Amino acid sequence: MIEFERVSRRFGDLDALRHLNLKIDQGEMAFITGHSGAGKSTLLRLLLLLDRPSSGEIRVKGELTSAIRSHRVPRYRRRFGVVFQDHRLLFDRSVHDNVALPLVIAGFSPRESARRVRAALDKVGLLAQESVNPATLSGGEQQRVGIARAVVARPEFLIADEPTGNLDPQLSSEIMALFEAFNQVGVTVLVATHDLSLISQFRHRIVTLSSGRLASAETP
Amino acid sequence: MNSPTGQPAERWTRSAVWRAQHRIAANDSWRKLLHRPVATGLVWLVVAISLALPSALLLTVANLRPIVPDLARSAQLSVMLDREADRASAEAVQGQIENWSQIDAVRLVSREQALSEFGEQTGLATLLASLDRNPLPHTLRVLPRLPAHDSALNHLIGELESLPNVTRVVADTRWMSRLEETLVAGERWVLALGGAMILGAILALANTLHLAIDARREEILVVRVIGGSPAFVRRPFLYTGLYFGVGGGVLAALMLWALSLWLTGPVNALFLLYDSPGQLQGPGLVYPLALILLGAIIGWLVSWAAAEHYFRQLETR
Repeated sequence: MIEFERVSRRFGDLDALRHLNLKIDQGEMAFITGHSGAGKSTLLRLLLLLDRPSSGEIRVKGELTSAIRSHRVPRYRRRFGVVFQDHRLLFDRSVHDNVALPLVIAGFSPRESARRVRAALDKVGLLAQESVNPATLSGGEQQRVGIARAVVARPEFLIADEPTGNLDPQLSSEIMALFEAFNQVGVTVLVATHDLSLISQFRHRIVTLSSGRLASAETP
Repeated sequence: MNSPTGQPAERWTRSAVWRAQHRIAANDSWRKLLHRPVATGLVWLVVAISLALPSALLLTVANLRPIVPDLARSAQLSVMLDREADRASAEAVQGQIENWSQIDAVRLVSREQALSEFGEQTGLATLLASLDRNPLPHTLRVLPRLPAHDSALNHLIGELESLPNVTRVVADTRWMSRLEETLVAGERWVLALGGAMILGAILALANTLHLAIDARREEILVVRVIGGSPAFVRRPFLYTGLYFGVGGGVLAALMLWALSLWLTGPVNALFLLYDSPGQLQGPGLVYPLALILLGAIIGWLVSWAAAEHYFRQLETR
């Protein structure tokens, strides 16, 4: 469970988030939407401790994130799988090595790591591309490699920031369906997106932010 | 994918993970260096020159040091006797001072001997022969047992001058002090120059490492978000720094060896010409090992500092 309690984040005079109260249940899948600048990315950055709130508290499974000391932050972040809009793949290594990165960090044996990488690539339908350089893949394929990297270490939470920003509607639906599949096996999924027509195809809670405030949190 | 747990099943022990991650970082960094041989070679060269030059100078000073006592031994005193004093009284003085504890040896140079030596050395023998009397006094050549620059020498000179029949004691020890001071100044100059060169190497390394880190900015950002610890992010750069430093140290050692090989012939010939039993003291094993160790320490520390600086900038952005 993720709880935001009166969370504010100010950048100078600008309120990126204002007194946000939000609760994401364990195993839930939710969309966070709103115009650009509404605070979607700020919300995700705060959750990943890439930024700290100006006021308010964030709890993850009851644990106050403000109480996490800086040397514990990397371990905390490993509980999250993160998918970026520009997928942030590393073009100096193969698809396999990109996906394996979280496992290298977590300290898996090479054998177990290889097994998991192949399983994750299989899930996103890219097992055949294991040894190619991700630069040779299409945008949709690159994003799927990014998703494989996010889930390979079996995180508790999957966080995606505009994961379909650069993809056509057909590919976008496929990507969302992938997230849904992970959600169905118990991963809590949080997707920030401004693509309302896309998320209307799915029956999940939509949290709408407007100028850093919670505008609505409707459950279909 | 159905066990969302923070504790994966097949994990290694902590130390095995640590070793494996070090091995991966070490290999990756090495491959990256070999991938850009020219750039890597240039960094090694910069570090090598910065380390080799001061150590070559240090080695020069170390070679000069043992010669100085030899030179000091030649700082003898000439005790000029009264021109009226005859050979018997000269020998009397010799006998008197020979047993002094500050004196190593005394040799009597008679006025006849001195005149003929002077004639031989100057080629004025015929001219001197035409003189109706020998203008030179008997002289005692005294080899003191004291270090040449010691103030005790002045005391000894005073004592010798107070003896009967002694007119003057000539001791050209000033050049000895000058040499001594020159060596001290030389050593300091070498240290200052060495410090400056090493500082230059540090700055060049810091800049190179900053560029290397910046080139992997994207990777650093990703690794940070997906839970890589600062140590994990830093590790490949520490190895890069270490390789730069050790490579530079090895190259510096080779340069020093090559230099000393090149100089051994002429320098040993020079020693021979000066009747010195000395030989060129090469870098041996201590210098190369010290250079490699110094390179390693500098490389490691500089990469640590460069990485810390970079990550702090990243965090505050």
